Amino acid sequence: MLIRIQGGRVVDPTAGRDAVGDVWVEDGRIVAPPSDRKPDQTLDAAGCVVMAGGVEVHSHIAGGNVVTSRLLLPELYVSEAAPEGHPFAHAGGAAGWIGATYARMGYTTAVEPAMPPVHALATQLELADIPLLDRGALTVLGNDDHLLQILRDGEGRAAVRDLVALNVATSRGLGVKCINAGGASAFKDGALKLSLDDEIPCYGLSTRKIMGALLDAVEEIGVPHPLHVHCNNLGLPGADDSLVATLDAAEGRRIHFAHAQFYAYGVSDPENPMTGGFRSAARRIVDAMMTNPQASLDIGQVVFGQTVTVSLDILRQFGGRKGAKPKKWVLNAGDAEGGGVVPFLYRPKGPTSSLQWAIGLEIMLLSGDPERTILTTDHPNGGPFTQYPRIIHLLMDKEARDREIATLPGIVKERSEIATIEREYTFSEIAQLTRSGPAKLLGLDDRGHLRAGGRADIAIYRDDPDRTAMFTAAKFVLKDGHVIVEDGQVVDWRAGRSLALTVESDRAMERRTETYLQDRYGQGLDSFAVPEAAFATDKPVFEDVACRT
Amino acid sequence: MAAWVKGGATDADAAVMAAARLLSSAHAPVFAGLNAEVAAIRAAYDLAGRIGASVDTAGGDATYADLGALARVGAMQAPPAEVAGRADAVLVVGEAPLKSPLVERLRGTKPVRGRAAGAERSIHHLRSNQDLAVQIAHLRAHARGHMTSDAGMAETARAMASALYGAVLYDPGELGTLGIEMLQGLAMDLNESTRCFALSVSDGTQDRAALQVAAWTTGQATRVGFGRRVPEQDPWRFDADRQARAGEADAALWLASLPTPRPTWLKTLPTVALVGADAAPDLAEVVIRVGEPGRETGGVLWNEGRAGLSYRAPEQGADLPTAADIIARIAAAVAGRGAVAGRSAVANSEDA
Repeated sequence: MLIRIQGGRVVDPTAGRDAVGDVWVEDGRIVAPPSDRKPDQTLDAAGCVVMAGGVEVHSHIAGGNVVTSRLLLPELYVSEAAPEGHPFAHAGGAAGWIGATYARMGYTTAVEPAMPPVHALATQLELADIPLLDRGALTVLGNDDHLLQILRDGEGRAAVRDLVALNVATSRGLGVKCINAGGASAFKDGALKLSLDDEIPCYGLSTRKIMGALLDAVEEIGVPHPLHVHCNNLGLPGADDSLVATLDAAEGRRIHFAHAQFYAYGVSDPENPMTGGFRSAARRIVDAMMTNPQASLDIGQVVFGQTVTVSLDILRQFGGRKGAKPKKWVLNAGDAEGGGVVPFLYRPKGPTSSLQWAIGLEIMLLSGDPERTILTTDHPNGGPFTQYPRIIHLLMDKEARDREIATLPGIVKERSEIATIEREYTFSEIAQLTRSGPAKLLGLDDRGHLRAGGRADIAIYRDDPDRTAMFTAAKFVLKDGHVIVEDGQVVDWRAGRSLALTVESDRAMERRTETYLQDRYGQGLDSFAVPEAAFATDKPVFEDVACRT
Repeated sequence: MAAWVKGGATDADAAVMAAARLLSSAHAPVFAGLNAEVAAIRAAYDLAGRIGASVDTAGGDATYADLGALARVGAMQAPPAEVAGRADAVLVVGEAPLKSPLVERLRGTKPVRGRAAGAERSIHHLRSNQDLAVQIAHLRAHARGHMTSDAGMAETARAMASALYGAVLYDPGELGTLGIEMLQGLAMDLNESTRCFALSVSDGTQDRAALQVAAWTTGQATRVGFGRRVPEQDPWRFDADRQARAGEADAALWLASLPTPRPTWLKTLPTVALVGADAAPDLAEVVIRVGEPGRETGGVLWNEGRAGLSYRAPEQGADLPTAADIIARIAAAVAGRGAVAGRSAVANSEDA
């Protein structure tokens, strides 16, 4: 079917396009305007802004920690409205709700950034139940005994590459992530803090060595997404040193920094670095990124209110347990990574929360390259992804920002530059921040843009000066060329696909890993596999994503 | 396919239609058991959502003993392979965990990973000759130095505090919510100076698989009701045993594709039973034989050794439907009777 999206302001920074015009769609793809054919369907986009569907790179939407958070805080996920064509569309925090809420906002792809290989099947089953979106997950490595043994024994790059490839293939990951590499292992052996070059007990390794090996492996395998790195010392004063040191340790290799806001904390009082609080290091982080074009980051923007922090960084989550609000928390010292779930309240108008809020915005507003500065809240760690429209509003509207800043404590102006920044994001820059940037980062060339040949994942928003309202409920959203949202309501509950890299695993490493797993679990690779047969559908669940050649 | 309606053998279509009639005409149906593969559990929640049923699991009491403590204080926990690989001191609480193969494994091995690798493993036992929750409270008091009166307790407390990696095994059904809450408090206290983790020993049901499916499907744990069309969790209200005894439920779906002890109330309600090898004509008003996952059909099951989900291929070929297939057919028949459209619309829409 030929569809014409007619008369909207078409915003596609990848094509330098920002003007009123049409977008044509056929068979799930964007096509060039046909010269002699009439459309089968016309969508009136007059007065609207037309963008590619949003792409999420870092949102905790599936997996063991997410499940645990629902069980720890049943009060946080109550259902508030009756279903509308899907029995669980309004089941707060559930898969149906996640898919529907993203789709209403114009997002069509979302990535869970923390999939431990031991729980890949559960994570992939949960992702597959998220309707409307294409989804994917990053395979987490960096604390597993098998990997650490190989590194400790100095086996070299090929062995690490083969083990990483095997884990990605078995878990059907879209990329590779390391989370405070070595930190979970160190925690189990009594450590309470870990920096880049601290020795990890029992292995004689460091975060630098583990991360360096993973950086190499990702490049050798040809994973399109650079190694996704959660650094040491998240959230501590001086965490900016950790991020910059980690960037230096990458030595020019591609690297993506997760939730950089939580590291943009410079020591405020050098005499009392751990007790004197922090000040914004946003400019330092942005400057470092601008001089390292191979690096990228996502924000982890804080928003005010109750949330729950979920992380495989059990070292950090254990450290943060005493700040839990309400005062309960779960720490699961799991196989390899484990996980920590700590409820948290970003106090509205609280000085620390306010400064965190300012720093996230500051990084985006200071950035010289929005395509490498991806909007996330690290859902739910900085707050829910449902706040994206409000964050976009603040980026686009200096007056709205000033009104918000005026209600916040003075520390925001004292310890950050936020109040002095005049910049207002354009639609093109918003598209870079939420569409073209994350798509390029994930290596998904078929989305994040509106060029001919691209996947027809398209969001059409009414051009409303109230940007919060505008980006909360799209007028139309198309997924693979089908209208799934109309006037902010889901009209077609389609299933998307789970995006997984096609990676060849080495037979010798398979045999070796089988032996390791049998010794450890009494079970082999089969018990970790993610076969199509596990999914209760006769339709394909996965879509292949090729590695770089 | 073996199927019976009111004791008489019938074919699949007739059994499915009878099941749909029975369930869709009920005012307050309960879905119980859920001792089945993930696909069947998922299908059961889907159908429950459509017809306004409530859901409970075979191990609901034990599961909610753990969940009650979790929602009050949280947890500090580790999976079996980590405990076996790292623990140099293990405390077994009560008698039920002694039946777990894990205890035998712990007795016969030493830690092999982490800072306790190579050390001897000491195993301690807190017997259930007194109230276990009170005993754990006493142990915790000894560990904190608030009590010194019981030499045995003091010795156990010292052993756990001086361990490099301790583990506390318990059975949630035996220990109960208050005991688990105290036990988690003990583990949290010990982590101020060393490492110690709780390990809840599974009761062998698929409750832990159901818990995951429930959480991602409804945002809540297993005991939910859909009577008001949105999932509402209430551990007391949606206890299937209580509902049946109180006369609140007027029909049931018993889902047990794996061998499962049957509740005493099963024959007191008009019931659709989807069961494995122990299917029998008089088990319920409608009985449909389904494949046993991991033996006769493939399916995703809770894997106790890995504390996670694994796919199990069938061991033998069997011409049997899966429980998920049957529930989907019942759901289609229910929809044909005018019930609300559900998640199957997601898959079907791709054909449009």
